[in-house]
Amino acid sequence: MAERALRIPERIEEITEPEELERLYQQLCEEERTVEAELESFVNQKGSIAAKMIALQRMGPNLQLIEGDASQLSGMIKFTCNLAENVSSKVRQLDLAKNRIYQAIQRADDILDLKFCMDGVQTALRNEDYEQAAAHVHRYLSLDQSVIELSRQGGEDSMLDTNLSLLQEAEQHLKVIVAEKLDQAIKEGDLPQVERFFKIFPLLGLHEEGLGRFSQYLCTQLASKAAQNLQLAMGVELSEARAALVFADTLTLLFEGIARVVETHQPIVETYYGPGRLYTLIKHLQVECDRQAEKVVDKFIERRTYHRKFQVVQNNMMRNSSERIEPRELDPILTEVTLMNARAELYLRFLRRRITSDFEVADSAAPEGITQEHQKSLEKLLNDCLLSRNMQELIGYYITMEEYFMKETVNKAVAMDTYEKGQLTSSMVDDCFYIVKKCIGRALSSSSIDCLCAMINHATSVLESDFREVLFNKLRQGFPATTLQDIQRGVSSAVSLMQSSLQQGKFDTKGIESSEEAKTSFLVTLNNVEVCSENIMTLKRTLENDCAKLFSQGSGKGDQARAKIDSCLSDLVAVSSKFKDLLQEGLTELNTTAIKPQVKPWITSLLSISHNIEEEEFNEYEANDPWVQQFIVSLEQLTTEFKAGLSSVIYDNLTSLITSLIATELEKTVFKSIFSRLGGLQFDKELRSLIAYLTTITTWTIRDKFARLTQMATILNLERVTEILDYWGPNSGPLTWRLTPAEVRQVLALRIDFRSEDIKRLRL
Amino acid sequence: MDSGKLHISVPVSRNRVISKLPKWYTPESCLQFKEDFHGKVKGACQNRHTRSGGLNISKVVVVGDLYVGKTCLINRFCKDVFDRDYKATIGVDFEIERFEIAGVPHTLQIWDTAGQEKFKCIASAYYRGAQVIVTVFDLADIKTLEHTRQWLQDALKENENTSPNIFLVGTKRDLLSPAECERTENDAIRIASEMQAEYWSVSAKTGQNVQEFFFRMAALAFEESMLRELENSSLSTARIGEANVIRIDENAEAPQSKRTAEPGLGCC
Repeated sequence: MAERALRIPERIEEITEPEELERLYQQLCEEERTVEAELESFVNQKGSIAAKMIALQRMGPNLQLIEGDASQLSGMIKFTCNLAENVSSKVRQLDLAKNRIYQAIQRADDILDLKFCMDGVQTALRNEDYEQAAAHVHRYLSLDQSVIELSRQGGEDSMLDTNLSLLQEAEQHLKVIVAEKLDQAIKEGDLPQVERFFKIFPLLGLHEEGLGRFSQYLCTQLASKAAQNLQLAMGVELSEARAALVFADTLTLLFEGIARVVETHQPIVETYYGPGRLYTLIKHLQVECDRQAEKVVDKFIERRTYHRKFQVVQNNMMRNSSERIEPRELDPILTEVTLMNARAELYLRFLRRRITSDFEVADSAAPEGITQEHQKSLEKLLNDCLLSRNMQELIGYYITMEEYFMKETVNKAVAMDTYEKGQLTSSMVDDCFYIVKKCIGRALSSSSIDCLCAMINHATSVLESDFREVLFNKLRQGFPATTLQDIQRGVSSAVSLMQSSLQQGKFDTKGIESSEEAKTSFLVTLNNVEVCSENIMTLKRTLENDCAKLFSQGSGKGDQARAKIDSCLSDLVAVSSKFKDLLQEGLTELNTTAIKPQVKPWITSLLSISHNIEEEEFNEYEANDPWVQQFIVSLEQLTTEFKAGLSSVIYDNLTSLITSLIATELEKTVFKSIFSRLGGLQFDKELRSLIAYLTTITTWTIRDKFARLTQMATILNLERVTEILDYWGPNSGPLTWRLTPAEVRQVLALRIDFRSEDIKRLRL
Repeated sequence: MDSGKLHISVPVSRNRVISKLPKWYTPESCLQFKEDFHGKVKGACQNRHTRSGGLNISKVVVVGDLYVGKTCLINRFCKDVFDRDYKATIGVDFEIERFEIAGVPHTLQIWDTAGQEKFKCIASAYYRGAQVIVTVFDLADIKTLEHTRQWLQDALKENENTSPNIFLVGTKRDLLSPAECERTENDAIRIASEMQAEYWSVSAKTGQNVQEFFFRMAALAFEESMLRELENSSLSTARIGEANVIRIDENAEAPQSKRTAEPGLGCC
């Protein structure tokens, strides 16, 4: 307020305008009114504030009362608290006393137990009640060692000492007896007795030993069974149904036997030895499994002359051996090997699952380190066992033989290639992919990811180099041209034919009798190439599905295996595009050697038809078409041949190439001709019919390819040179010019009735 | 902790970024003397940022006698661990390492083959299509150096049409005194130049030169695959405005190389 009071007089001198003065006055009045209103409201509140003050004064004495009450209450609480403290300390003392009493009772009980055990063991041993004796010893062993120490200090030394030593003696004695009894039972093959003593071992704290002896028993059982099975297998007649798979079957029996043993005895082990012991049991059993499996594998190698066959195959692959082996001979043995490996993988998977879940139960509360330790020892057991090493070795040999089988059979399929009239492809494509699929399928059936990947790689190699080479060479022989080109081409194709048959030796011995046959062969090969690239994609998809199935069964090492397969499959897919490239090369070849030489003269014949014409000739042309009808008929003849012989995809591709060819050639020809006004009209008509025809034989639009020609026809059809400006630049509307200004001038110059000065004068 | 098992879509970990062409180990045996990537490659790399380029993968095959330390070498780089216990590789092992080189993602597929004779059949099925062949020998066992020739020959047989980059790597350098090491290295360098390979001495146990070697290999493989791709694309399509691209690159190259100077890449 003071500020304002000070400021206003200052301003007053400055205020010269009455309006200003008026406005300021108004403002001041306004302020005054608001201040007044505020004051009014304060005055109104006065009554209620006074009432509140009175109420507060009245509350004063009450507050003093409350304070007194509160201090009294606090005193009471303090007292109660002390009381409680007192009581509880007494309770604590009581509790301590009670605990001590319990401990005393416990100790007394223990001592009594100990005495009872001492007596019990003696009697039990005398009565040959080993379970009872073991239970006593177990009780003694589970007693706190300190109790025994304390009892010893108790005073009655001598008696307790003798008793204790008696007990220890009994324990040792019992251990010896039980071990002996178990051994005896094992020797006699008396399963109930074996199980009886087996159950006693953990009571004596001899878990490992018990499991060891028990698995020894199981091993002898397995061994005798396996020996029987092998004996049986050796006796199988060749004519019997599964004779070819007899070793795989024997191996299967062995694995099933072990699996059954694990199934039946796991509950006993778990009940009496606790969880986490299965690993030890299986570790012992695996030794026997390895031994028996090796016997089977050895017999397999011996009987099937596996190594010998491998040697021969390897020598054949090196191409330095006269001794050849028929791929067909390898077929059964390859199937058997993969089956053997698949069984082994299945068995190892079973063990892994069982041991892992057993460890999981045992290690649920164990620290991380122990779990990892267990996992590591499990991996070591499964990966380093002789069985997996043996199997890996077999698979190593298998891969080379399978590669040989695939290569040789593909070669055979190529050599026996036949083509039936009416078919688009020849037999070798289907045969070849059947073989590749079979080989990869067999590798897959081994359930070994490494093996599968290796075979996918080999298949990729065979398809990419061997098989593609065959098709490539066929295409290189070219498509024999007809008519004039025949003589010319005949020489060069004979040369190339000779060269290629010299290079390959075996594929082209049939030779090509007639050009008709050569034509078919070329077209069939084109179809073959296309089907190959399709088939590879199909093969990849099938394999992906199969692998997904394999993974869902829980085989392989998850991510890494998946990445391996993905990588190999992507290499396979790359081959598909190589076939596509080959197809394109073949088509280009066909286009340049067979189609261009024929189509080009047809187009250049347009030159002999004058387009510098008057009304009379134009009408004459109307009646007797000079060029385009004939051209269309010839094209029709040319393409029918291909339409019948090629798959629709390739045919589409080819017609697209042909239309491009026609467009470029026709353009060149037009630039060599001259036109009158009516000649331009004539050409426009011809072009329209041609485009109309070509549209019927192609599946996609060809308008784009003929855009330049259509525009040239438009220019040739103009009335005057300057008319071009109606279509050019800002007037072009939706039309996009494909011709450069220079080309437009060039086309205009083809019209003999257009003056070159006019053309030069054009601003484009 | 490493990107070894990660999926494709995960970003490249920071310790797998290479911005400059790493140096060679010894000038007596080295595949490339350039200090930096090929100009065209750098240009394409700049351009690649905007384009979502195709997946760039190089396949690396590691071969050599058994017990020379192929798996240890790879594990040191991929997982940064060293396991003293010898565990024979069965068939093939496989690691995927993802890099970012000059700003472009690049993946190395490392195929770790078994050295044991009995696995040769299965391992050799994996040689095909390799962009890089690493032949490994044990510096402390001169015999294994002799065998590298055969290993290389086998691996090259499956790659007749392409010319893979070849590296000769001596392992277990920590076991040798400097004098011994020098003697063996001289032999190795001679063989490496016969093979047209680049030579490296490493120790998987101490980690000496391991990362340097892998970075060098990744960078050279990357450069090669980029050059190949550029060649293909320039064959198939006419490149519009290529000159423009290169000009941009030359301006932008200097700050980039400054920004990401790799520490500790010097030779020892």
